[in-house]
Amino acid sequence: MRAVRALTGNAAAAYGVKLCRPEVIPNYPITPQTIIIEQLADFINDGELDADFIPADSEHSAMSIAIGAAATGVRTFTATASHGLALMHEMLYAPPQLRLPILLVDVNRSLGAGSGIWVEYNDSMPERDSGWMQAYAEDAQEVLDMVIQAYRIAEDPRVVLPFMLCLDGFILSHTVERVEVPGQEEVDAFLPRFSPLNRLDPEAPMCMNMAVSPTHAMEMRYQLDRQMEGARQVIAEVDEAFGKAFGRSYGGLLDTYLMEDAEIALITLGTATSTARVAVDELRAEGRKVGLIKLRFMRPFPHEELREAVKGLRALGVFDRSVSFNRFGPVFTEVRSSLYGSGVPITDHIAGIGGRDLKVSTFRDMFALLERSASGGRVRECTWHGLRGEM
Amino acid sequence: MAAQTIAEAAILEGRQAQAFPFFGAERRGAPVMAFARIDDRRICDRTQVAEPDMLVVMDASLLDIEPVALGLKKEGCAVVNSPMRPEEIDLGVVARCVSVDATSIALEHLKAPIVNTAILGAMARADAFVSLASIQRAIVNRFGEKLGERAGSINSEAAGAAFERSREGMCRGERKMQRGNAWLPTWQETPPGVALGRWERGGMAVGPGSMRQNMTGTWGTSSPTYTRARCIGCQRCWFICPEGCIRRLEDDSLEFDLRYCKGCGLCAKVCPKEAIAMHRKGAGA
Ligand code: SF4
Ligand code: SF4
Repeated sequence: MRAVRALTGNAAAAYGVKLCRPEVIPNYPITPQTIIIEQLADFINDGELDADFIPADSEHSAMSIAIGAAATGVRTFTATASHGLALMHEMLYAPPQLRLPILLVDVNRSLGAGSGIWVEYNDSMPERDSGWMQAYAEDAQEVLDMVIQAYRIAEDPRVVLPFMLCLDGFILSHTVERVEVPGQEEVDAFLPRFSPLNRLDPEAPMCMNMAVSPTHAMEMRYQLDRQMEGARQVIAEVDEAFGKAFGRSYGGLLDTYLMEDAEIALITLGTATSTARVAVDELRAEGRKVGLIKLRFMRPFPHEELREAVKGLRALGVFDRSVSFNRFGPVFTEVRSSLYGSGVPITDHIAGIGGRDLKVSTFRDMFALLERSASGGRVRECTWHGLRGEM
Repeated sequence: MAAQTIAEAAILEGRQAQAFPFFGAERRGAPVMAFARIDDRRICDRTQVAEPDMLVVMDASLLDIEPVALGLKKEGCAVVNSPMRPEEIDLGVVARCVSVDATSIALEHLKAPIVNTAILGAMARADAFVSLASIQRAIVNRFGEKLGERAGSINSEAAGAAFERSREGMCRGERKMQRGNAWLPTWQETPPGVALGRWERGGMAVGPGSMRQNMTGTWGTSSPTYTRARCIGCQRCWFICPEGCIRRLEDDSLEFDLRYCKGCGLCAKVCPKEAIAMHRKGAGA
């Protein structure tokens, strides 16, 4: 039975996970993720979830245990953040190539030194090369819904890849919102039982993760590249099916807001999209033709969908919450490369670094620069918004 | 927790709500901010609230440190945890004010100075935008689920008592409100290497010696008194104090630096001779 609850983003993740009935949950605590794992421990303790809860001695071990568990053919979940994800880095490269559809929730938090406990995407963005699918959520409802979608996408026989769901530390992880929690029967009906591609089974022995020589590695990587590309289709289908079953869908790889007649637009991801919506509403009320593209996936990247969405635009801005020093934010690099030759002028807008509060005015400033760019004015390739001191 | 509970109460009433904290240091007792928005429509704005309709001050000692009422809307209302009447409270702006001695209520009902449920009763009194009944239901949900039925009911009673014992009036606006001289360097002025010199303190980090400016003595609700005559000089208290604010003198007697004492009471607990007693701050005054 469906129930409306007041949940934080973290609790929403835990409720979603419970409904998906994972069998193994290796874990290691780290702020701002810890409450996901604690909530799951509560569920197990209260008999609401039947899973092996394995406290590991580090995130590196937690991911190693997840790999071992998934290799035996069971649905597996873990969560981490920031330095925890960095410590997992070595092991993150195994599940994609081994085709183990593990779900990992990363609660975005900046990496040190010069770090705090607040949101920045410099933990997850570097991992987009690891072979994991990677999605970003805007609100607590989307977190819960995407946990359910994530397992169905990841375990689809046409995909079979691990899934990293990212949510903004504190701004989403610790924010209480209204969340509709689906009933167990509907989730059971939506999410089939996990049937693994390969499984370690003493009755039918098999060798997994052998050393691979140069004669075979390249084909393996290309296979992975094609799997990731193919996941685009499955993501769109699953989102649609989810909409039919639960009454909420999110547009698949990306969503648009007031883009039909927009002349200038901003691309955002994570919770920034929410506050940017307010800026767009204000500007629309003033008669400006502005719109928003909500980027939901960094991997697979919606290159074709994006080319479609920007048709007719006179200027496009990209919001970035992390930076590759000397060469822009990672989202900008991806977007500009996907839109090469489209003729739309594209600029990068870095803001909210280290968890700095993103105000409606921050997004209005971005749109002001985009309007200037649309009317042929000079705008920097990359602007840091809210920075103290001349750029 | 108070912000989360008021949001839950609003959601139980079928409305949209959002509540989120902003933490500084990850320690109990350190100053934190939390924000809540309640609306009938979907709430998209996720910025921190700078101009609230309602300002809730859980610890009145903050008034001396931060200009907390700076953004309070003219027609807004302040809810202050204080044994004083609204007319005696100087918030820095004249505004409608509800005061309640939430600390005493919490000590009576919960046997701990944790005021975040009691204060909710005063919030319901200050503005009927969320009813006391929904707040109590949200408390029972939230605390009951985590800490058991009894925790739910005593916290709900604390809110009810605060609702009854709240006092309404207007607060005073005499204190000068200025943003603290926060150190906000440009990127060119920011010291390289995430490093600060002696005595320096900034938003990005804390330099050695900065505790001279950053006193933790306002965090607690009680403080120790020391009876030299009973003390045998065993130094257990000196050893256990987490703040290092007990100083050992030449003759093995002790001196307490209350500017940094956070009132944890560990010193009194370990003393074998009852030479240390804890007293509620401001009690009797
Ligand atoms: S109560 Fe005692 S132990 Fe605790 S901080 Fe104060 S002096 Fe130290
Ligand atoms: S613990 Fe008690 S007896 Fe021992 S030094 Fe401290 S005050 Fe004196």
